Amino acid sequence: MSIVSGIQSLSQIIDRLPAGGYAVAAELVRQIRSVETEAHAGSCEDLVQLCCAAAATIETLVGNEQLIESAEMIEQHLREVVAYVEEWAAAAAVARGDEQIAVRAPQPLLIAGATQDQQYVETVGMFVSNALGALSDLEEELLSVESAGERLDETIDGIRRTVHTLKAEFGVLNMLAPQALCHQAETTIDAIQENGALFPVDTMLAFGDLIKQFVDSLAEDVKADFGDPEPMLNTLRRIAQQALSCLDDDGEPLVSVEAATAAQTAMVALPAPTTVPVSALTAAAAAVVTPPPSLRKKTAARVERTIKVSTTRLDMLVDMVGELVIAQSMVLQDPAIQCLDGQTLARNIGQVGKITRDLQEAAMSLRMVTVKSTFQKMARLVRDVASKSGKRVALSIAGEETELDRNVVEQISDPLVHMIRNAIDHGIELPAVRTSVGKDEEGQLSLSAYHQGGSIVIEIRDDGRGLDRDRVFAKAVSKGLISNDATSHAMTDGEVFNLIFLTGFSTAEAVTDLSGRGVGMDVVRRNIEALRGKIEIESTLGSGTVFRLRLPLTLAIIDGMIVRVGQSRFVVPTLSIEQSFRPNAEDIHHVVDRGECVHVRGAVLPVYRLKEIFDQADGCADLGEGILIVVEVDGHRSCLFVDEILGQQQVVIKSLGMSRERNVGLSGGAIMTDGRVALIIDVGTLVESVWNA
Amino acid sequence: MNSTIENAPTVQSTFSGGKFLSFQLSKEEYGIAILKVREIIGMVDVTSLPRTPDFVLGVINLRGRIIPVIDLRRKFGIESAEFTNETCIVVVDCGEEAESSFRVGCIVDSVSEVLTIGPEHCEGPPRCANASGDFIDGLAKLKDRVLILLDIDKVIGDIDPSALTGGAA
Repeated sequence: MSIVSGIQSLSQIIDRLPAGGYAVAAELVRQIRSVETEAHAGSCEDLVQLCCAAAATIETLVGNEQLIESAEMIEQHLREVVAYVEEWAAAAAVARGDEQIAVRAPQPLLIAGATQDQQYVETVGMFVSNALGALSDLEEELLSVESAGERLDETIDGIRRTVHTLKAEFGVLNMLAPQALCHQAETTIDAIQENGALFPVDTMLAFGDLIKQFVDSLAEDVKADFGDPEPMLNTLRRIAQQALSCLDDDGEPLVSVEAATAAQTAMVALPAPTTVPVSALTAAAAAVVTPPPSLRKKTAARVERTIKVSTTRLDMLVDMVGELVIAQSMVLQDPAIQCLDGQTLARNIGQVGKITRDLQEAAMSLRMVTVKSTFQKMARLVRDVASKSGKRVALSIAGEETELDRNVVEQISDPLVHMIRNAIDHGIELPAVRTSVGKDEEGQLSLSAYHQGGSIVIEIRDDGRGLDRDRVFAKAVSKGLISNDATSHAMTDGEVFNLIFLTGFSTAEAVTDLSGRGVGMDVVRRNIEALRGKIEIESTLGSGTVFRLRLPLTLAIIDGMIVRVGQSRFVVPTLSIEQSFRPNAEDIHHVVDRGECVHVRGAVLPVYRLKEIFDQADGCADLGEGILIVVEVDGHRSCLFVDEILGQQQVVIKSLGMSRERNVGLSGGAIMTDGRVALIIDVGTLVESVWNA
Repeated sequence: MNSTIENAPTVQSTFSGGKFLSFQLSKEEYGIAILKVREIIGMVDVTSLPRTPDFVLGVINLRGRIIPVIDLRRKFGIESAEFTNETCIVVVDCGEEAESSFRVGCIVDSVSEVLTIGPEHCEGPPRCANASGDFIDGLAKLKDRVLILLDIDKVIGDIDPSALTGGAA
C-alpha cells in the first residue's frame, strides 16, 4: 500500500526535523505532498485535507521564518497523522469489503500565524472596505424604507441587492456563518416582498449591525470568529414564516408588530460574539494551539486600513500634479531664472524638481493597480463554486498584470463574482452531461484582461451550454419583462441576450445558494455602467458563452513613442510598434493601384502616411527623409510614415472630450511636458480606417 | 423652472431673461447665459484634431483636462480672422445634467461685459426661410445695439452631445 510506505518515509523525515530545521522542511513538504497525491488517488479525503493543511502551514511558516518556534508542534501533529494512517491501515487490513472504517482523524494542523499569509490579509483588507461600504449603503436604504412610499419596491430591491453582494463577498472568503445569515436575510426579504408584508426595518438593522461588528473585528484581526449566527437566523426565519402565513389568515399584515418584538428579543438575545472584545477572540483562537508567546505577537497582523476617495477628487489631484510638473519645468527653463547664479538656488530648484517628480509618481500610483489580486480571488471562487455545484472546472487566467484604475478594479470585483458564479452554475454542465455531448468532463473557464481599442477588456469565457435564445426570450415574456406581443424574430441575438440584465430575470430553475435569484446580472450591469463601461455577450448554444466587460481607460498610463508629423506630435503606443527604420530609396516600391510599399527584411509592407491620414498641412513628403514605424494589426503588418521620433515616454491617456466616432484612429490625448496636447494613435482603428477608406 | 423654459417648443415669449456674457464676433455682438460659462481664458496653443468638422479647431489642455475647442466664426460661417490679444476662449459647460455635462471652449474675438437682460427686452429669433439650426434663443434689444442670444447647448450639439464624454472621470 503506497500511502503506508509514503507515511513511513515521512516519519523518518520527521525524526530529523528538530535538528535539521529549514533544510528538512522542504523535504518534509515534498513528502507530505506526495502522500497527499496518493491519498487523493485512494480517495481518502480526510488524509488529503490533513496533508494539504500541514504542507501549507509549513510552507507559510518557512516563509515567515517562524518554523523553528513551531517545529515541536509540527512534529507532534505529524506524528498524530502517521499514527492515524497506521491505525487506519491496520483497520483496513482486517476490515472486509465495504465495511466502514471508523478511525477518528486528528484535527488539521492549525498554527496561528501560519494561515495569515500576506495575500489573505490583503484580500480581507479589500473585503473589509468593500463590506463597510455595502453595510453603510444597507443602513441608508433600510432607513429610507419607511419614507419610501411608492418607491418601496425599488428600495427593497436595493436592499436585496446589497445583501446579495455581501453574501457573495462572504462566500469568496468562505465565511460560512455570515454567508448563511445573508442568505436567510435574502430569503426573508423575498418572502416579505412577495406577500406584501410590512418590512421589518428594525430586525434588518440589527442584522446589519451584527454583520458590521463582525467586519469591524475582521479589520482588527483577520481570524476573528463570527460566533453563533443562530439567534439572528431564527429571527429571520420566523419573520419569513410570518410573512408567508399572515396573509393566509386574514390578509392583514401583522408582521410589523411582531417583527419589532422579535427584533428586540434578537437584540437582547444576541450573545457574546457581538460584545466580546477582539482580544478575547484572539485569545480564544490562540488557545486552540497555545503557540509560544513570541508567536502570538506576530499573529495579530492588522489589516492595513484603507479609505475610499471619490474618483473626481483623485482625478483632480492627478491633473493638478500634472500641471505642477509642467509649471515647474516652465519655471526652470525661464531665461530669467537661468541667468540667476547661486548654489543655493540651484540646489533648491533641484530639490523642488525631485519632490515634484516623486509627487507625480505617488499621485499616479494612487490609482493604478493590477487586476492580479481580483483575479486570484476569482480562482478561489471558481474552486469553491465548482465543488459546491459538483462540477469540474479548470480556470485559466491571462493578462493579470493589466493595470487598471484602483476604483475600476474594486468595482469589477462584484460583477466578476456574479458572472463567474453564473458561468459555473448555469453555463458549465455537470460532468456526466458534458461527456454525453462529447465534451471533456472538465469545463474550461478562462478569465483574461487586455487592452483593445482604447479600452480595457475583461473577458470571461466558458465552454458550457451557452445561452438559449428562445428560452431567454420565453422567460422574459413570462416574467413580464417584455410585452407579450414582442416577437423574437424582430430582435437580434444581442438584444435577446441583453434581456438577462433586466431586474428579476433568471433562467435557473432552482434558487440556490450560488445563484438563480435573478439579482446577479442586473447588479453586474449597474456596476459596469457606473464605470461607463459596456458588457457584451457572445454565445453559441451548446458550445459556450463569452462575456466581455469593456472598460474605459479613464486614467490608464501607456508607454508611448512620441513622433512628429509636421508641426504636430502624436503618441504611438510602444506595444503596437515592432520596429522603426529609415528606408533606403531602393526598398521603396510603388505598386500599381495599391500605393506605396516598402521592402523590409524579406517582407513587403504597405506604407501609410500619417500626414495624409490626419490631413496635416506640413511634414516630410520624401519617404527617405522620415522614419517608418512597423506596426501589426490583426496579424497584418504595415508601416506608418512619420517625420521623426522624438522620444519615448509614459503618458496618461485622457479622453478628448468628444465623441469617439469622430476620433477614428485616436484613442485619446496626452498632456506633454510643455503643457500642450499630443494625440494618442490607436493603431488598430487607424489601419482599419485606411483599409476601409 | 429653468428647464421647462429651455425645453419649451417655441422660443418666443418663453424667455425669462437673466445674466448674459456678451462677446464680439466680427461685427455682431452675441450673448451666452452666464450660468453656462465656466471661465474665460486667453488664447493658447491648440492641437488640431484630424477628421473633425472644420469648426472644431482642436483640443487644448485646460489644467490637466483635455477639452475640444470650436471656432465660432467658422461655425457661423464668418470668414476667419487672425487671432489677436483680444481673442479668447470662453469655456462653457454643456448638457443639462451634471453627469452628462461636457466642457467645450469657444473661440471669440473678444468678450465685452456681463449684462442683465429682462424679458421685456427680448424677442424671439427672426423667422427666416433658410435657417439651418435653432441655436438662437432670441434677440435682446438694448439701447443702441442688438445682442444675439445663443443657446450654446444647441450650437455645440453638432459635435454629437449624446456620445460626448467628459474628461477623465
